Amino acid sequence: MTGPLYLYEVISFSTSLFVAIGIGFLFGFVLERAGFGDSRNLTSIFYFRDMRVLRVMFSALVTAMLGLVILNRFGLFDYALLLEYSLLQTYFWPQLVGGVLFGLGFLVGGYCPGTAIVGVASGKIDSLVFLIGMVLGIDIFAFGMPIWGSFYKSSDMGRITLWQYFGTSMETMALIITFAALGAFVLAWVAEKWAPYDK
Amino acid sequence: MSKPDYAEGYWNPFVAGIALGLVLLLTFFIMGTGLGASGAVARTAAAITHAIDPQAVEQNQYFSSFYKPGSSGVFVDWIVFEVIGAFFGGLVAVLTARRFKLSVGKGKSFPASRRLVLAFLGGIVGGIGTRFAMGCTSGQALSGGATMVVGSWVFMMTVFATAFVAAYFVRKEWE
Repeated sequence: MTGPLYLYEVISFSTSLFVAIGIGFLFGFVLERAGFGDSRNLTSIFYFRDMRVLRVMFSALVTAMLGLVILNRFGLFDYALLLEYSLLQTYFWPQLVGGVLFGLGFLVGGYCPGTAIVGVASGKIDSLVFLIGMVLGIDIFAFGMPIWGSFYKSSDMGRITLWQYFGTSMETMALIITFAALGAFVLAWVAEKWAPYDK
Repeated sequence: MSKPDYAEGYWNPFVAGIALGLVLLLTFFIMGTGLGASGAVARTAAAITHAIDPQAVEQNQYFSSFYKPGSSGVFVDWIVFEVIGAFFGGLVAVLTARRFKLSVGKGKSFPASRRLVLAFLGGIVGGIGTRFAMGCTSGQALSGGATMVVGSWVFMMTVFATAFVAAYFVRKEWE
């Protein structure tokens, strides 16, 4: 059995919706158990109090990244199909601007969209208010399309990966990222000792 | 410094991270795409606005893609079902850990009303950000990051760099 199953049409669209509920359930469950239903645990990273967000994110990212590279190696996952059909496309400047806005929203709002859903499930009133704000923000974006519509789709680089961009192999790039993550874990530990806001 | 009570009782972050990574790996193996969240909020925004002014939404340059002729409805989409699942997964996790509590997450001496205003403003700005970036922490940073997408890494680095710099100016909110 080779993945991705949906792209190989092993499962239908309606089956995929059932899968979505199951996958989502696991996703929400793990996010809550990671502590991400509470905005304080999400923003502690920005004050070097608790680098939990970095640890969870990078260990998740590396686990999935290495998993896909290994499955691809053993012929159990078709990475080429991903690269051709379903990999996220890069729009450099819109994504950079989006990153600045999203970073501000995350810090000030206290949540990102997925964690806000879990926040609502946890009874956090601020997460519900955050989501209501998001709905309004998306409306502002949608009705501002005449102003920024052409920027939104600019600097289109297509489906491009870091290893293609830097001219190396998938495996080498994955190894570099893994070591970078390990380095980040050490830095996170140092940053918590430093704790500049809590002196 | 000992941990504050709101940070107690959760999984070890590396265990939680590996578990999250395995869920993400499973998602890619089955679907060929990763996890997401903001897309479902975008569809909700479209649906709410559609209830007020259907024409404006169907003719909108961004929202119209959700209302293509022949589509079975704005909510019939993978990411919407995934987010519904995430809500129930979070609910089961919080109830079984006996952590459900109506409250506002904020710094100790920061007024709750001001925190809610900031949550609302942050939601607006973050919401706009997700549309320019075409995703959020789950869809771009995590899923795109794990598949080593250039734009996702640009997004992730910009998000954290911005928040680390801006953190100083709202330190009272989280103190």
